[in-house]
Amino acid sequence: MKNFWTRTIDELSQAWIVTLKDIKVYYLRPGMIMFGFLMPFFMFFSFSVKREMAAGDGMARLLALTIFFTAAAAGPFIIPTERRLGTYDRLLAAPMSLLTLLAGKIAVGAFFAIAVSLIAVIIGIFFLNASIAQPALMIAGIVIGSFTFSAMGLIFGSIPTRNPGDVQMPSTLIRWVLLFVSGVFVPLSEMSTIARGISYLSPLTYAQDLMNHAVLGTGELALWLNLSVLFLSGVIFLLPSIKLHKRGRVLGY
Amino acid sequence: MTHAIEVHDLTKNYSSSGSGELAVDQINFTVEQGEIFGFLGPNGAGKSTTQRMLTTLLTPTEGQILILGHDLADDAYPAKRQIGLVPEESNVYTELTAWDNLMFTGRLYRMSKTDRGIRAEELLRDFGLWEKKDVKAEEFSKGMKRRLSIAMAIIHKPALLFLDEPTPGLDVQSARTIQKLIRQLSSEGTTVFMTTHQIEEANQLCDRVAIISHGKIAAIDTPEKLKQTFQQVQSVEISFTLSPNGLEEKLATLPEVSTVLKIGDKWRLYTESPPALLPHLIKFTEIENLDIVSLNTLAPSLEDVFLQITGQQIGSVSEEPSSKKTGMKRKKGK
Repeated sequence: MKNFWTRTIDELSQAWIVTLKDIKVYYLRPGMIMFGFLMPFFMFFSFSVKREMAAGDGMARLLALTIFFTAAAAGPFIIPTERRLGTYDRLLAAPMSLLTLLAGKIAVGAFFAIAVSLIAVIIGIFFLNASIAQPALMIAGIVIGSFTFSAMGLIFGSIPTRNPGDVQMPSTLIRWVLLFVSGVFVPLSEMSTIARGISYLSPLTYAQDLMNHAVLGTGELALWLNLSVLFLSGVIFLLPSIKLHKRGRVLGY
Repeated sequence: MTHAIEVHDLTKNYSSSGSGELAVDQINFTVEQGEIFGFLGPNGAGKSTTQRMLTTLLTPTEGQILILGHDLADDAYPAKRQIGLVPEESNVYTELTAWDNLMFTGRLYRMSKTDRGIRAEELLRDFGLWEKKDVKAEEFSKGMKRRLSIAMAIIHKPALLFLDEPTPGLDVQSARTIQKLIRQLSSEGTTVFMTTHQIEEANQLCDRVAIISHGKIAAIDTPEKLKQTFQQVQSVEISFTLSPNGLEEKLATLPEVSTVLKIGDKWRLYTESPPALLPHLIKFTEIENLDIVSLNTLAPSLEDVFLQITGQQIGSVSEEPSSKKTGMKRKKGK
């Protein structure tokens, strides 16, 4: 039992070490700033131009977009880059489990998204004059959503390749699809039955609805459902990442 | 005593159907603790594939690997704690300083803050990088990155160090520093497993070498014993004051000569019997009116053994298998 706890503490500590290292090395890299920081803001402002939108509504959308794009940007950028430079081998050969390594990598994207979300909150409060109905729920939503979408990004980062370009293409494509079918651009209440049915397939729909609950105080879906789907999605997203990493070890990546 | 490395029927097939050529084919070997073990082979022979399997970076298709008594298939964690890895390309974090690179690795191996500080300073001083400890690795030369990469691999004092091609592309001073370090690590009890193209380096450093060819271990022994096994690749090295045109072709026609290789201003004549060749050679110099500057008989080198085993021609050892050095004439029918 003592060994178990020692090992668990070791593993958690190593995940944190990987996260800290990545924060130092990658947060200011152009790829992260472009895909993780600027993109959600560009998308939000291009969508908002000449649209009548309440301040709270705008802030909820900006937050959902931010955690979605920012969190999912880290994995597809960092892991293929490290594979190309050979630094990923250092991590794979280090005394920690694959799950620990993946947990560390998920935290990198999640913390980035949480930090960028704070900027979105500041923009919402000070520039859009929005008020937040449930601040605690907003914080919980940002944290859970950030970890979930970072785990989603990790799937693409886990594709066995040494070229970040091979990963960016499918990663961007799928993120755009998930964005367009979700309730971010068209609210769930205005969707047709079929479109609404499809939107339920996108975890972003639940993140958007959760942000509506947090900022506006109201949403289309039950709060527990939003939280549960986001949490479970995060866990489920880990599975393909583990499988792809194991495949990478068979293929030699 | 437990072997540092124990490998049983290790096999790797990269093809998903299992039908392709085996990169590593049922190899077996052991490495003793404290040994410097060289793993030699031409490009594509299976050296790096084997090393990647030994360091858990690649999953074997079949076979068993025991590292310091721990079966990698059961639980790689205790083995991973005791190994250090220096890959062919120096994999330092260029955005971090030399000091931060070492601190990160020390933390990965659960070293205390005090221990990793002391060890990092010791390594940086030993490797001549102390003055650059706060400089980002992106400003380092190739040799400095290599030294830092090795320092990162040994910061936790591993019992077993894997080195993939430790010195190619480095200047003489950096290469010598690294060779000296390998000897020092070995004298301190660290087992060193190195894959290399540098046959002379392996000859000088390794207690034993294995030569892998087409995924199979073709020979495994001490360098000296391997050389004794291949007495047929002895040679006579001769240099003349002048080297007239057509000399190479004429030397190749001498009895007992199997291959002629020009090395700088010298000619190396490979033969199974130097005593039988020498009278013919002396007579030839008299007929051709050539003045001899030096004349030596040479025992087989490890490179000769390597070439014999891997089936490569003498003079063709190079970074790329397709490239060929000039100045080699091999007699037909030999």
